[in-house]
Amino acid sequence: MITRALAESVLACAMSGGADFAEIYGQITCNNSITMMNGKIERASDNLVSGVGIRAFLGTKTVFASTSDLSPEGLFKCARSVAAAMGEIRGDVSVNLTERIFPNIHPVKILPSSVEAKVRADILRQGCFAAKEADPAIVQAMGSIAGVDHTILVANTEGLYTTDRHVRTRMAVSAVASNGSENQSGSDSPGAGMGLEFFDLVNPADIGREAARQALVNLRADYCPAGTMTVAIENGFGGVIFHEACGHSLEATSVAIGASQMAGKLGQQIANPKVTAIDDGTIPGAWGSVNIDDEGHPTQRNVLIENGILKNYMIDRLGSRRMGMPMTGNSRRQGYTYEPTSRMTNTFIANGPDKNEDIIASMEYGLYCRKMGGGSVNPLTGAFNFAVTEGYLVRNGKICEPVRGAALIGTGSEILQNIDMVGQNLARAQGMCGSSSGSVPTDVGQPLIRVSTITVGGR
Amino acid sequence: MKFEELKQALVAAAERQGLKEYEIYYQAEESISAETLKQEISSFSSSNTGGICFRCIVDGKMGYASGELMTEEAMEEMVANAISNARAIDSEDEVFIFAGSSAYAPLPEREVKLIDPAAVRDTALKLQADHYAICDKVADGTQSAAVGAVSEIHLCNSKGLDLSNRVGVSFAYSSVVVREGEEAQESFEYAVGETYEDVKDMPAKAVQSALDKLGATTVPSGKYNVLFSGKQFRSFLSVFSAAFSAKNAQMGLSLLAGKEGEQIAAACVTVTDDPMREGCPMQTNFDGEGVATARRNVIEKGVLKTLLYDLTTAKKAGVQSTGNGQKGAYLSPVSIAPYNFSLAPGDASEEELFAAVGNGIYVTECKGFHAGADAVTGDFSIESAGFMIRDGKKAEPIKSFTVAGNFYQLLKQIDRLGNAVKWGLPGGFTVFGSPDVLIRDMSVAGK
Repeated sequence: MITRALAESVLACAMSGGADFAEIYGQITCNNSITMMNGKIERASDNLVSGVGIRAFLGTKTVFASTSDLSPEGLFKCARSVAAAMGEIRGDVSVNLTERIFPNIHPVKILPSSVEAKVRADILRQGCFAAKEADPAIVQAMGSIAGVDHTILVANTEGLYTTDRHVRTRMAVSAVASNGSENQSGSDSPGAGMGLEFFDLVNPADIGREAARQALVNLRADYCPAGTMTVAIENGFGGVIFHEACGHSLEATSVAIGASQMAGKLGQQIANPKVTAIDDGTIPGAWGSVNIDDEGHPTQRNVLIENGILKNYMIDRLGSRRMGMPMTGNSRRQGYTYEPTSRMTNTFIANGPDKNEDIIASMEYGLYCRKMGGGSVNPLTGAFNFAVTEGYLVRNGKICEPVRGAALIGTGSEILQNIDMVGQNLARAQGMCGSSSGSVPTDVGQPLIRVSTITVGGR
Repeated sequence: MKFEELKQALVAAAERQGLKEYEIYYQAEESISAETLKQEISSFSSSNTGGICFRCIVDGKMGYASGELMTEEAMEEMVANAISNARAIDSEDEVFIFAGSSAYAPLPEREVKLIDPAAVRDTALKLQADHYAICDKVADGTQSAAVGAVSEIHLCNSKGLDLSNRVGVSFAYSSVVVREGEEAQESFEYAVGETYEDVKDMPAKAVQSALDKLGATTVPSGKYNVLFSGKQFRSFLSVFSAAFSAKNAQMGLSLLAGKEGEQIAAACVTVTDDPMREGCPMQTNFDGEGVATARRNVIEKGVLKTLLYDLTTAKKAGVQSTGNGQKGAYLSPVSIAPYNFSLAPGDASEEELFAAVGNGIYVTECKGFHAGADAVTGDFSIESAGFMIRDGKKAEPIKSFTVAGNFYQLLKQIDRLGNAVKWGLPGGFTVFGSPDVLIRDMSVAGK
């Protein structure tokens, strides 16, 4: 993409405005996607994203420029604009880069972009048809299959010159069930940091059947009652609770500038002692894993909370400068037009001491959330919300009738203390997380947990 | 390579590969922004990007390919990929490369250029200084930013259509953090225009709105009269605008399907879509397929007048495209979306609205629409914050409650409308606007 010699000159140019550090991030990403609706393949497309982002630091002041023009002239123009915005132009600085190759812990067998669209379309058909055929009440099944082949180059004035390649595959199916007057929907969208061999592990038809199952449950569900309740949240995407309630508040993005409820709380008991939470970007083939982060730092397994005590934050290079703490391999960006910042990778609550059956049996009255939707959080106040996409009322320790339309709201600091039972069936699920550096793939996860009290929005 | 060279390379590749019907869509964007932290510029960014989308019809199917790598080989590969993608499609929907509308509304005469970097820095610094000067509760974590962007679009095709547009937008925002004892609150205000004329009052407004939230408590669950600020109600329009898409209607994903001509909302409700709203910096006279755009009422006095169509859905329904086949970005497929989509204002002032509520809730913040609202069913349950209204007056701040309901029922329950439309930030050519909206007896979950 950019030779080592060219990168050296471009970095030297970017440093010429008096910066103390400069970095080049180059990207070539091949995205392909196919969508299906009404039983027909409706759209197939390819997109090649390519460009470079150049960043310079002077202390904690940053200048960033990006361009889709990868020619040497384009790169120098971009570097000059960085230098000029940093300060008065002095002479070029000399930069020496050493090439480094990091180990690839996410091997890929079948690169999606090397397989004809028709073959990928057949995989998608299996998922959508399975949803449609699941029940006569399923009136619509839609889906998409997407492949991403993402190559990055990182070079910086600490001498690093390296590249990495990351491949992802994901399929999503959503189903709509109707009883003539009302529509309800369900969806499932697993993915992995793998090629098309992902579908050897996950049967495409199962994805469709799962979407249909949820839609059918919701069709017979009544509205969820409102109020404060005891709530049990199932594993997998249930982990979005930790992602929103706490994860975002542990990113240097907000911690380093004092805009987080978790700033200054290292070593403090911020959660129930049953809670241990981990961010791990090294899980082989996982959706949120990468070999190196977008600043060229190898990803790590970071214990964020251990037995309820805050142990660490997620820290990128700028955050590291602001906080005086080491980087944690969490710097991420959607692409070259975004400035990187600290983000989650695969973040989950670890297995705890409680048996799953004991958790349900302990609830006299409450809500069992089998599937969660997305959510959002304000890192400053910790106020969060998330949607329950499949829920059931619990009475006398038994899971009873399904309810729909529920939302869980609260604040991070409260809910962390209120997670009073943690089960043993840890599983992760995939999502796209949006923040200032764009949309990046992340896994959320947890075992079944119990929250002693939380506000349930319903009617 | 320049656009004209790229175009020639694509046309040559298309002809070589035997294509008869194809379209080239090019979009280039330049932007600059400055962000502040404490009293300094913490980050200054600029970007210069461009991309091309090529789509073509092969045996009646439309294939897409797009990219940012501007070389002759890349153009050749783009055409080959588009053809291969077309061959994977089995949808029988009729697709079109469009020859052009009979007339296009004139775009406003103005010189569109990127705002001066010095103005961007100065604006961000001035806003930040103003924040700290207003009140000593303003705390670090407070940020201001100013952004300027210019975007250029070219659409040309094998039918001889050749359209272009150049638009520029500037916006600035205040993101204020205030602290009092252990409590922190924040607020977010912004102003959009071609220049930074409207930012003067923003810092004071932003600081006041953060201060107003200090000491907020939770409300008891129950039924309340709810006054939605226009800033929040427009988010409902944004989420549920999907229901007005003819595509969704034809797919069975909109409860508005087949309701054209029917009363679907209260008589005070008129919803307008306007691609050329005066004062909006993002105006366009053609859509992503090259069809002329036009202003129209989607709901008029409560009656659904039309859905929004592109060429394919219009053909299916036996009507004309409404010019709403948009491309969100150069690489996006054509999909139906509104332009300046707004609920028309009523006649009530803020005081009159509070008086009409009597006792109830003023909702000034809603969060998590992407998860808490279902565009298919209309159901929503949304995390909210705002103020109590007591005896017709705005009272203490409240937080951590949800407001739940169904959008389609909500449309029928609209009781009073404020007299001023509050517009949001444009996303491409799409922007939503709404006045304050009063709805009675809504479900609220709090403590």
